[in-house]
Amino acid sequence: MWTGPMLLDIHSQRKQKICLVILNQPIDERYFHVLWSKAKIRACADGGANHLYRLTEGRRESFLPDYINGDFDSILPEVKAFYTQKKCKLMETPDQDLTDFTKCLAIMVEEIKAQKLQIDTIVTLGGLGGRFDQIMATLETLFHAQKMTDLPVVVLQDRSLAVLLQEGRQHHLNVNTGLEGKWCSLVPVGSTCLTTTSGLKWNLDNQVLAFGQLVSTSNTYEDHDPKGGRKPVTVTTDKPLLWSMGIKPL
Amino acid sequence: MDEFAPLDCLLPSAKIRACADGGANHLYRLTEGRRDSFLPDYINGDFDSILPEVKAFYTEKNCKMMKTPDQDLTDFTKCLAIMLEEIKAQKLQIDTIVTLGGLGGRFDQIMATVETLFHAQKMTDLPVVVIQDRSLAVLLQEGRQHHLNVNTGLEGKWCSLVPVGSPCLTTTSGLKWNLDNQVLAFGQLVSTSNTYEDHDPKEGRKPVKVTTDKPLLWSMGIKPQ
Repeated sequence: MWTGPMLLDIHSQRKQKICLVILNQPIDERYFHVLWSKAKIRACADGGANHLYRLTEGRRESFLPDYINGDFDSILPEVKAFYTQKKCKLMETPDQDLTDFTKCLAIMVEEIKAQKLQIDTIVTLGGLGGRFDQIMATLETLFHAQKMTDLPVVVLQDRSLAVLLQEGRQHHLNVNTGLEGKWCSLVPVGSTCLTTTSGLKWNLDNQVLAFGQLVSTSNTYEDHDPKGGRKPVTVTTDKPLLWSMGIKPL
Repeated sequence: MDEFAPLDCLLPSAKIRACADGGANHLYRLTEGRRDSFLPDYINGDFDSILPEVKAFYTEKNCKMMKTPDQDLTDFTKCLAIMLEEIKAQKLQIDTIVTLGGLGGRFDQIMATVETLFHAQKMTDLPVVVIQDRSLAVLLQEGRQHHLNVNTGLEGKWCSLVPVGSPCLTTTSGLKWNLDNQVLAFGQLVSTSNTYEDHDPKEGRKPVKVTTDKPLLWSMGIKPQ
């Protein structure tokens, strides 16, 4: 069972083992500390290092990434010099058809294997805001990630979380952590999706989600007995389907 | 083929101006001190976002307040529907419907904006352009060759073609990385961080041309002004 928001729960009983990717977007400080402290491997994709550098001013030595990759056209010279001097691995992955984010994930998957780590989720800070084509590029990376690893790749920015649900299996989403915001959504980003759900206020019963036809946004969770707690949301789809949800302000 | 300049809309001026629900809050805040010069023709929505003082202000100024309660359609979609009726009722010659906002904030609402652009294609032939921060997005219809004038001087560096909703068989010219009857599809090939082909500075840029067999989302950067 997958628990997205549990990533953010510092008191969580079940310690999710994660790896952390920081992208070139302002970092939510509220989430940063919880995620950084839980992560087994921490990386920045190019300009993500600038945001890390800025956020951790005064105590930068305590927040050194394991590696920084990219074509290095966004990272500032002083930031690059600092992390180089602190012996963080700087991995130049020059411009090709793949984004810095995709390449960062590829390295992450290799590192997890090389270090023989048991990891539950790869968490990404940033990617859902800013330049519109780069939001779209984030989604494209989630598609590529499915071919690179079975691990869920979760993207967080501001109070939104997004994850691409694979086709062909029933997903159980634990939405009972207390960290859930009000809204949730299922979006057939790349193609029509034949979808069945339970646990939502507006469920789908073997229905086609498709742009121009039906897209589920501003959905929410079904009412539940406050003593009972929410049942998991279940989702099946025949094509990759983008789940997103709101996060309660921490 | 009629040419379409996506950034043309940043030159004045609008014939009809409307707010979708909480858009009125932003208008109210932005125009503090001279609100009377910036009255929308109408404000629609389920009114769950507009602040009471804002609603009271615009009501008192006789802006049309059109409650369009929650159904399966977003405030944005309903605002467009009203806009089209008004254009028809007033017999206006309009080139483009421009939207401020929609590409940032809550992630599902960014997706809902894109969904509205799909619905808009069934509602009108007018292009519906969405602008936020320094991004512009417009959904290109299938079945015809689009000529995008990108020589206004307002263009930023990047542009992008994204096959939202389904794979798109695409051909382009005028881009640095063109497509030659290729399939754009999530998980396969999506064009982001593209840019314009080099051109003779004396000549100016040739239009970007795009044909697609399914609706294809064009987006581009806007130069800081």
